[in-house]
Amino acid sequence: MNTWDTDVLVIGGGSTGAGVAWDSALRGLHVTLVDRQDFATGTSGRFHGLLHSGGRYAVRDPGSARECASENRILRQVAADCIEDTGGLFVSTPEDDLEYADRFLAAAQAAGMEIEEVPVGVAVRDEPRLNPKIRRAFRVQDGSIDSWKMISALLRGAQDHGATVLPYHKVVQVIRRGDRVEGAVMEDQRSGEEVLVHAGCVVNAAGAWSGQVAGLAGCEVGVRPGKGVMVAINHRLARAVLNRCHLPSDGDIIVPVRTVSVIGTTDHPVADPDDTECSPAEVHQMIEAGELLVPGFKESRALRVWSGSRPLLPKTETSAGAGDREVSRSHTVLDHGARDGVEGLVTIAGGKFTTLRLMAEDTVDVVVRKLGREAECRTRTEVLPGSESHHFYWIGNRQQEAETDPPDDPLICECELVSQHDLDTVVARRPNWRLDDIRRALRVGMGPCQGGFCAFRVAGMLHQGGRYGRAEANSALREFVQERWKGVKVISWGAQARQTRLDRWIFEGVYDLEHLPE
Amino acid sequence: MGTDAVVLGAGTAGMVAALRLAAAGASVLVLAEGEGGLPLAPAQIDVLGYRPQLVLDPLGEIPGFLDSRPDHPYRLVEAAEVEAGLDWFLELAAPLGYTGNPHQNRLQPTAVGALRPTCLVPETMAAGDLSGGGSVLVVGLKGFRDFHAPLLAENLALARPPSGAEVRARSVEVSLLGDPRDLRPQLLVRRLEERPVLAELGREIRSRLEQEDLVGVPAVLGLERSHEVWQRLQELVGRPVFEIPTPPPSQPGQRLQQHLFRALRRLGGEVRLGARASGYRASGDRLVAVKVVTAAREVEIPADRFVLATGGIGTGGITAGPEGELREEVFGARVSRGGAPEEPLAEYMATQPLDRLGVEVDDEQRPVGGAGGALFENLWVAGAALAGAEPWREKSGEGISLATGYRAARLAGGGRA
Repeated sequence: MNTWDTDVLVIGGGSTGAGVAWDSALRGLHVTLVDRQDFATGTSGRFHGLLHSGGRYAVRDPGSARECASENRILRQVAADCIEDTGGLFVSTPEDDLEYADRFLAAAQAAGMEIEEVPVGVAVRDEPRLNPKIRRAFRVQDGSIDSWKMISALLRGAQDHGATVLPYHKVVQVIRRGDRVEGAVMEDQRSGEEVLVHAGCVVNAAGAWSGQVAGLAGCEVGVRPGKGVMVAINHRLARAVLNRCHLPSDGDIIVPVRTVSVIGTTDHPVADPDDTECSPAEVHQMIEAGELLVPGFKESRALRVWSGSRPLLPKTETSAGAGDREVSRSHTVLDHGARDGVEGLVTIAGGKFTTLRLMAEDTVDVVVRKLGREAECRTRTEVLPGSESHHFYWIGNRQQEAETDPPDDPLICECELVSQHDLDTVVARRPNWRLDDIRRALRVGMGPCQGGFCAFRVAGMLHQGGRYGRAEANSALREFVQERWKGVKVISWGAQARQTRLDRWIFEGVYDLEHLPE
Repeated sequence: MGTDAVVLGAGTAGMVAALRLAAAGASVLVLAEGEGGLPLAPAQIDVLGYRPQLVLDPLGEIPGFLDSRPDHPYRLVEAAEVEAGLDWFLELAAPLGYTGNPHQNRLQPTAVGALRPTCLVPETMAAGDLSGGGSVLVVGLKGFRDFHAPLLAENLALARPPSGAEVRARSVEVSLLGDPRDLRPQLLVRRLEERPVLAELGREIRSRLEQEDLVGVPAVLGLERSHEVWQRLQELVGRPVFEIPTPPPSQPGQRLQQHLFRALRRLGGEVRLGARASGYRASGDRLVAVKVVTAAREVEIPADRFVLATGGIGTGGITAGPEGELREEVFGARVSRGGAPEEPLAEYMATQPLDRLGVEVDDEQRPVGGAGGALFENLWVAGAALAGAEPWREKSGEGISLATGYRAARLAGGGRA
């Protein structure tokens, strides 16, 4: 069995784990990070993409609001390439209590948010699709953040500082000697081979799955997964993030992300964080809710629906109140030595994407103390790879690149403007790409055609380039088609139903994928 | 003034109905919202390929297929009429060299390398029937993104036709002169109509041939001059050459479309593209006119008889709303789910809720009206607008369109009523 020693073994390759890896590596620790799947496939890759200003939490969870406001400022400095500076609006729709707006403004100011009330006429002028019947509007520092880009930048940064990162490595055993956790055994989900990593400290950064990981070490972590449903709508319906100014509920945020708008979200407790099924009822709830912010929302083309599981912390783990949206969206570092008498294991629980840096800082502060090291956190000022120019991502970036690409570099995905060169660059980073991993890295198959045209191109090119064998290419194609179906099957109406039919004609009619050899 | 028959939709079904009506002496106007459905499809004439097991004799197996699928549109057409429609099509499409036997499916490679059953094919694909095995050199064109010769050849080499005969396949990739960025089928067909480019391609293929007795190429062998391009390439290569269909836009589909449009014009008919039918005017049970949006205004087009061939959800003839409401767009005809399940299934390759949608019709292919009678006595439905089929899985689309379009024209009658 392949075996090595590391200072910190991070379990979980979402935003939390990637943040911990980056922070630890910057402090001079040797890091190994593992995930049972590709990175950012759990909750981090399944949220709406909102970089919180703090407004959403201002009234009910002032601690989280304060954290969001300050972390938002820091991320804009260190991760500009992953962020689009859309700004945000909180608006009182005809159904919202105007008195809440006063409380909201006061709470936002108290949380240190930059906030400004703007006349309704100005808000509607800036956002022509916004409901003209809104009664108040507040401008805040919301943004949109690309989770795949962010996590990829954090991991590349960590790797530049010596970290080892392993996707598709599932923890099958936590090595425990007496009261001490000393490492873990991981199984490569593709080859079946096992690796053993001895670690000075193991960080459980498995988010909604951290209860499962803690269980392997004989500890209990009471994280409750809370499912949130999101729908991506073709086109950007607004320039800024649109929020309803009321106590947070379902379907009250519309986030412009890259080429789409995402509406979110719901909050239902689920037993299993892998339960990502979305029901037609949940989707309709989102679409109906969107009408209140953007009249005519229902007529928009829904591209895809998905859900993710928040890692909610019940009051037994924090001092906050009860009820799902009332549990704090803040985070807690659980030192299992002090808590359960099991040394060498730290769980970072709760939290949210916007505060990933702070979560990592708090976690690694505990880790260095436990390792008996001294090193200051550097992530407040250290700029992530790709963000050196401090230019925010802009929706025209890819068009600009496509126009300056060399003439022999064909586009393989017209929806998301991905060229063959982009594909070659990404697949050179590591072996064994699934088409779905490439989707996360490049957004191939995420546009209106949902892979109808580009999936076969990518599979064919990877086969031709020697990265896929024949059977692998076939199963990659089948798997991708199946995976995409998951996100469109409950939004079969309008233009997307028509697209789904065209895709069916291509996959089954033209290619006859159903009768392709294994 | 006035038109005997208005056909809505310029796909296979609409064009077949229009041509049959025109041949019977009617003045015909075809209206289509877009450019018609033909450029979407590979121009192979599928009749029945899977039920779900592989079908070898499509005409012969339709009755058995209907036993398990009583709601299928083939229930509307007698076997003899399906056959008559196919025979008529073979004659009509003779200039494109269509060939095949309605009682014998052919097994042609797809762009991924599956062996796919189909019934009639144009001459440019005729050599690609691998029912009896064969040894194929698959030729890829460098820079063409929708055709991956190595994967195709490797899959094809594993295909086993029911005859048990062996299929062998090997791939090569060739560069076309100049190799411009973003090679699309629309551009490739024109390049290959240039003699020096074709000559270069032919020489290149010939030099790389080994023992193969067939050459398979992506379906981009010319547009207007496809016969000449295909013929010349065979001479240059010294082996039979066949085209393998690629995803839309389909160049063989384009050729067939142009051929059918021209044939209709020769019979005095007219095709008007970019004309969306937006409504109708009726007098009692009789349809008097369709309303059409052109140049930003709505005009009425009166006619004596009407054929609805706007297709299903894939072409916009039928739409689905967010609440699950289904609508036939022109006449508001009753839409049936055709026996498909109400809720989506997790498995993609299964019958899904919208897969068999279509207009509900009586035995005479007329939309069913309120009291169970016909919605209008002079409106007939043909092709993918009919409920009950899953043509992409069954490989039945063109057969349904041909048979029901052919029959719709017969039911609508010949000359002016």
